Amino acid sequence: MIVFDRVSFSYGTQHVLRDVSFSIPFNQRVAILGGSGDGKTTLLKLILGLLRPDSGRIIIGGEDITDKKEDELREIRTKFSIVFQEGALFDSLNVKENVAFGLREYTKMTEEEIDRKVRELLGKVGLEHAMELMPEELSGGMHRRVAIMRSMAAFDPRMFLYDEATTGLDPVNADIICRLILDLAKGEKGFIIVTHKVFDALRLAERFMFLKNGLIMLDGNKEQLMQSSLPEIHVFLTELSPPSPASL
Amino acid sequence: MKMENIQIKELVSDLQDFYFLSLHGLVGLVRRPFYLKDIVEQMEYSGAGSFFIILLISLFIGMALSLQLSTELAGMGFKMYIGKIVGVSIVREIGPVMTALVFAGRVGSGMASELGSMILGHQVDTLRVFGVDPIRKLVTPRIIGSLIMLPALTIIGDTVSILGGYYIAVFVSHQSAAVYWGSIQGVLNFENVLSGSIKPFIFGYLTACISCYMGLSTKGGAIGLRRSTTRAVVASFVMIIVADFILTRVLFYILGFSL
Repeated sequence: MIVFDRVSFSYGTQHVLRDVSFSIPFNQRVAILGGSGDGKTTLLKLILGLLRPDSGRIIIGGEDITDKKEDELREIRTKFSIVFQEGALFDSLNVKENVAFGLREYTKMTEEEIDRKVRELLGKVGLEHAMELMPEELSGGMHRRVAIMRSMAAFDPRMFLYDEATTGLDPVNADIICRLILDLAKGEKGFIIVTHKVFDALRLAERFMFLKNGLIMLDGNKEQLMQSSLPEIHVFLTELSPPSPASL
Repeated sequence: MKMENIQIKELVSDLQDFYFLSLHGLVGLVRRPFYLKDIVEQMEYSGAGSFFIILLISLFIGMALSLQLSTELAGMGFKMYIGKIVGVSIVREIGPVMTALVFAGRVGSGMASELGSMILGHQVDTLRVFGVDPIRKLVTPRIIGSLIMLPALTIIGDTVSILGGYYIAVFVSHQSAAVYWGSIQGVLNFENVLSGSIKPFIFGYLTACISCYMGLSTKGGAIGLRRSTTRAVVASFVMIIVADFILTRVLFYILGFSL
């Protein structure tokens, strides 16, 4: 369970989160919606202890991580698998080395075992042929698929965290990524996806949180999201309705 | 008033972070894990990559210095001192400082922009998620690369500058080659060589730490990246010049040069 208890966070004088409280079970499928700069990515970083809150407590799996040191957070971070916006692949490493990165850091596998594991993971997403390619040679969709496989190569996460996993992708590639996210969430694994693409969020998640001005304006299921009277949410939901010919 | 307090707090916090990075990066020289592949990559980038530009600049600095001295000293009948003045100024001062400035301009800006784009692309966060200390993985190899390659480049640069000076002194100013080499050998004593050899280590360490710090504190997209790269180069330049004066004064005192 992830628990945020009255968490506030700011970058200098800019308040990003204000007294935010919620709890998310590890097996839940959650979409966090909101505009750019509304604190969605910050929230993911706080979960992983990459940022420290100004006030409030963050509890992960019963452990208060708020004041933990970098070394102590290592164990907590293995509970998650995160895919940052645009994949965040290491530019200087090829696809194989990127996926093998966590295996080399976290495990004592031999080079042969690493090679086998990387082939197996990339095979799952149809990228076995791209092992020797550099990140700059990959398309946006391939980039995300490699990043997802890299994030789960070294350890068996309890929950996946996706930062704008489908943003910037064409519909075909966005569909491939959505299917992959759903595939990986089978069983007892949940995920948190932060996005501003309502269509993808509705397809993937069972719970929706809407962030605006550092506050959670809505926390509910699909029906509650669709029936919300908040004008900010209405703006987001217009993505779902195609424009009328008259408005073109 | 409140805004001023925030700015002072930020400045103190920045200085604290810089000292932490500089110290932690240095500790990585003697403590595991060692990222040998990254160290070799950095040495290649900073050393081999800067070789030709240092060669070119050093050659022309040596020639220009020799030319200036030839015209001035010829009028006074002191042309035999060209080698001595070229040797002392290149080995003790111009060589280490010029090489360090070129190094900071080329390598320092590269370090800052590379680390800055890694910050913006969440690659540094990814390292932390994988349990890798970004300072050990990214900063220490750059410090080691600079500590090894800047002194090496300085020695090469000094040699080329002296050769450039020789060309002008002998073939343009028509001075005797034996006199030039004799006076060069005369100034290549322990004190002068030591004085010129210590500086590149300090300059290399400063450049690597400043550039890495500026890169890792990048915020705010492409404009932020531009700002941190510019700051890295400017701060490195200023610190090299300031450190040069302090080192010169300290070395004068230690080596017993009389003023």
